[in-house]
Amino acid sequence: MTTATLERTTLSAAAVEQFLYLEARLQDEHRYDEWEALWASEDTLYWVPRRQDADPAREVSYIYDNRARLASRIRQLNTGVRHSQAPQSGLRRLISNIEISENGADVEVQSNFILIESRRANLTTWAGRTTHVLVPAEDGFRIKRKTVVLVNCAEAIDNLAFLV
Amino acid sequence: MATALEIQPMIDYRHLVQDGRLHGSLYTSPQIFADEMEQIFHRGWSFVAHDSEIPNAGDFVVRRVGTQSLIAIRSKDGEVHVFYNRCPHRGATLCQTSSGHRSRITCPYHAWTFALDGRLIGLPDEAAYPADFSKADAGLTPVARMDTYGGFIFVNLIPNELTLREHLGHATELIDALLGLSPTGRIQLSAGWMKHKMRSNWKMIVENQVDGYHAPMVHGSLIAANRTFATVRDRKPTSPTRVRDFGMGHSDIDHASDYRAAGDRLFRWTGGIDPERLPVYVKAMNDAYGPEDARRRLIEGPPHSMLFPNLSLAEMNIMVIEPVSPQHSIQYTIPVFLEGADDLNARTLRRCEGAMGPAGMLIADDAEIGELTQMGVANLEPEWILLSRGMGKEEVLANGVKLAGLMDETSQRGFWSHYREVMAASQEVSQ
Repeated sequence: MTTATLERTTLSAAAVEQFLYLEARLQDEHRYDEWEALWASEDTLYWVPRRQDADPAREVSYIYDNRARLASRIRQLNTGVRHSQAPQSGLRRLISNIEISENGADVEVQSNFILIESRRANLTTWAGRTTHVLVPAEDGFRIKRKTVVLVNCAEAIDNLAFLV
Repeated sequence: MATALEIQPMIDYRHLVQDGRLHGSLYTSPQIFADEMEQIFHRGWSFVAHDSEIPNAGDFVVRRVGTQSLIAIRSKDGEVHVFYNRCPHRGATLCQTSSGHRSRITCPYHAWTFALDGRLIGLPDEAAYPADFSKADAGLTPVARMDTYGGFIFVNLIPNELTLREHLGHATELIDALLGLSPTGRIQLSAGWMKHKMRSNWKMIVENQVDGYHAPMVHGSLIAANRTFATVRDRKPTSPTRVRDFGMGHSDIDHASDYRAAGDRLFRWTGGIDPERLPVYVKAMNDAYGPEDARRRLIEGPPHSMLFPNLSLAEMNIMVIEPVSPQHSIQYTIPVFLEGADDLNARTLRRCEGAMGPAGMLIADDAEIGELTQMGVANLEPEWILLSRGMGKEEVLANGVKLAGLMDETSQRGFWSHYREVMAASQEVSQ
């Protein structure tokens, strides 16, 4: 690996990490419009499968949002009367084990997360592995595709009305 | 199946369940919950699985009915068997996963091995058993009774006096209506089940499934965010939609009465899509039923119903309610694929994800309101829940089916009057 490549990788790795942390913070703080603005304007997919290696053309997913469906989800949250997030859950997530690879112009990023949800008297632990496909933009990246595989995706899960 | 022989104070269900009001303890009492598991889920008929979930020999699903874990499995001769998920040797759980495929069932503890039809076919060191030991007596234990209607498999663990047909009564019309949307008359539940933790009593989910009163309030955020996705129907109190009490605890919201009244537009039940966008399905329906009858079916759409006690034909979804405790349940949801309708099925899948399950733009909010209701009824006052909306104004058909307005609580009263008979009758017999 040449010095130039190493520098580029180091820089882009830091930029990717910063982008993931920004996205996590916007989700944790229910900043719905700012989160939606992180997405590319079209041809996107936000996918939370019901099992590892699922075929989304044949199997039901918890979330399988194209760009229009994602916009509906955000509009619903923005009404303030989406009861399952009114009041909003207290959320904080940690992101780690980040692995980055490049695929043409796209950057594919895999990461683990642990998320704590506080809702009434309950603290709920969520965890999983996220795959982002990011496209470079002038001010950072845009999300083209995000897949979140929960560790307990095949089991019964609680309401998932916040942004995961 | 053995029954509990504990001495308990008698609960007066005829007092707790009255015609227009319910006692709050019905949603919170552990003793009532235990009674329900036995009287309703073990002594009555419950849905356990659909034929299409286990199409091939060796396919199985594991389901809970009442307090019992059951394996529904297809044997090599094509028959479906439902066994208790318990090794007859020392009691270990046989199948841990919720679905799968086996050529035989082998217990993880001592490797007792069973054929798909339940026969014990092998065990290590069989010769060590006494002379009177017989493999023929040590197979898997089937449930007492199993029967099917339209591919829906029901079980009855402690035999009662009713046939499945008698239990279903007029509700067979609802199953027929769903199957009748398929050009072949068959549905496929192959997309996998979403499992959703509900922090509410199972009966609240039953009530909500056929509640025509809550939608503008609980689902106002979705209606505001995406009016067409929320389906094209009249939600006003004056809507032509009827709720119906079919007897035997079965009920529905008959949206077809609205769709018919709104004219001859097809597919209002799936967002009012232009029929030209579903050419394969429309042609298959015309070929199967003739243009006139196909048209009627495609106007009226699927049932929105609750079959006592745990099966909901929820338009293009099937939902199943699994009680866990007085305060917790699991709701299972799967989209309904119609055989011979791949273009519609792709749409049904995506609509199911948008609306249903833990992240669904509809059902997550029902779950939240259910939790608030569960928390609310834990308060001791006021003692009673009001369920009298529209009472006494129902239209009663010659076959006994009761009709009322969209926002009337006739459907829930239908559930509760049957509940009362089932729960009280068992005590009156045992006295």
